[in-house]
Parts: sequence; structure tokens; C-alpha cells
Amino acid sequence: MIDRLFLKLRVRDLLSAEEEAVLRETIVELAEVPAKKTVLCRGEPLHRSILLIDGLMCRYKDLRNGRRQISALHVPGDFLDLHGFTLKHLDHDVMSLSPCRIAYAEHSRLVRLTEEFPHLTRLLWFTTNLDAAIHREWELSLGQRTGVARAAHLFCELYQRLRIVGLVQGQSYAFPLNQSELGECLGMTPVHTNRVLRELRERRLATFKGGLVVIEDLRGLEALAEFDAAYLYLDSTPR
Amino acid sequence: MPRYFFHVFNGDGFTPDEEGIDLEDQASAQRMALDSIRSMISEEARKGVLDLDGYIDIVDGGAQSLRKIPFPEAFVLRLPGPRSD
Repeated sequence: MIDRLFLKLRVRDLLSAEEEAVLRETIVELAEVPAKKTVLCRGEPLHRSILLIDGLMCRYKDLRNGRRQISALHVPGDFLDLHGFTLKHLDHDVMSLSPCRIAYAEHSRLVRLTEEFPHLTRLLWFTTNLDAAIHREWELSLGQRTGVARAAHLFCELYQRLRIVGLVQGQSYAFPLNQSELGECLGMTPVHTNRVLRELRERRLATFKGGLVVIEDLRGLEALAEFDAAYLYLDSTPR
Repeated sequence: MPRYFFHVFNGDGFTPDEEGIDLEDQASAQRMALDSIRSMISEEARKGVLDLDGYIDIVDGGAQSLRKIPFPEAFVLRLPGPRSD
């Protein structure tokens, strides 16, 4: 059930059989979530953290005028709110973009895990540090990259993150967003987003249609985006 | 909610909207078009180009054009002229 979390961690460090067993005991109780459902609301008290098993979710914040910024995307194997373990409530909402499956880790179990398994604790800490690194890269995109480079960068990032957990087929992957939601990731209106997608298509770099991203020229896409996977920490090293 | 399509015609050609966006009513669709023109033009302006020769065609689910919004409609334009002072 939590194999994609193992895949994600094993890229970065060794995971012992005992540590895998502990994670299996900690993350339990599978649940289904329909698409477009807010699963965590800002301010709500938290007593457990959620692991995404299947599907796509996002973190978002919005303004009173209805404008919404998606600040992160979550792929299977990601915790949605491991930061909630120490924060105890969130400053943002979490929503499912597609039908999802999730599992829960009670904070009381996580407390025991942190007391008894220091290396595993550091690995979980690593995942929240990785979330922060991804946030910084999105900040660079939103502040400085052009619209087309921003979209290209997002497609490169998801290609890497989904590849690790076995969700890239050939050069394509499922990306079940509509153009409004993609625009909310990129800080653009859906109409502007559509125009940017046209540019990627015409330059034969990537296409996004019907919830599927097809990468036609990965090197070209990475060059346009100035994508450097270093911020995803894809190296295995003792942590 | 009805679905509206926003086809963009401008300097670099025609960008058809094949997916469309669900919005409350035509007034919301109009706001979306104005917002989108501002968003696209501001990005071009950052690259040093100001080309207001274009429009968005708002089309309903039955492929009926509801309104064409020329880019200049999204802006209050003040161009430099002879000064009186």
C-alpha cells in the first residue's frame, strides 16, 4: 500500500527492512477521496498526518476575491501534511484534484517512531525539507520565470517526481488537471495558460491535453525551463 | 454552470480554446476575458513588446460567438501627447 513512499525514500537513502516494517505499522487505514474535495482545511486541529497512495492532490491558499494559488502538487508517495505533525494545524488547505486513495499516520504513532527510530525520523524530516525545496523552486518560477518557462518547469518537475514512483509511461504521464487548475499552479488565467501550452506544443517540446502530459523533447523542455533536478535531491546518501 | 470558450487572436496567430471554462454567467466570462488580456499583455510588456492588436472571442457551448473583446478594451490608455505646461 505504501510502496511508493518506499520508492521515494530509497532513491535518497537506504531503508532497512525494520524501518519499512515500522512505516507499514504506522501508516494504516486506507480511505478513498473523490476528486475536487478539500480534505484538510486551514486552522483545523490535526492529530494525524496523511500519505497520498494514489491520485493527485494540491496545497492551496486563496484570497477573498476568489483567486486561488496552488502552492504545491502531491504525487503518490508524498505526505500531504507531515509538517502538520509539528504545526498541529495548517495555514493552507489541501484538495484532491483527481479521485485519490490516502492512508493515515496517527501523530501518537509518529511520536513513538521519532523516539525509537532516529534514522527513519531523519528520512521523514528529509521529506518535509524536500517539500520546502520544491516550494522555493515554485517561488522562483512565479516570481521570475516567463509563463512558458514556468509551465515547462512544472512539466519537468512532475516528470522526475512521477518517474521515481513508477508513474511515467514512456515519455508521458497522467496529469488530471483542467486548464483553470493548471493556471492556478502557474499564477496565470486559464486563457493565458492555454496560450502558453500552445507555445510548448508548437515548439514540439510537450503537449498537455485531456489530463495527459506527453513530453516530446525532454532536453529542450529542460533547457527552456532552466530545469536543474538538484533541488529534488535525487542522490542516495546517508542522511 | 455554463461553459465558455475563449479563443485568442493576436500577433502570433490564433489560439483556440478546446477545453473551455465553466463560469457563472456571461458577465463572469467577460471578466475572465479582460483579466486574461491583462495577464498576457503584462507578460509581453515585461519582454519589451506592447502589441494591443488582438481580441478574445467568447464563445458558448453551441459554438456561438457571444462577444469579441478587443485587447485595448482591457486598459485605460494614456499615450504621450504634447504637454500644455
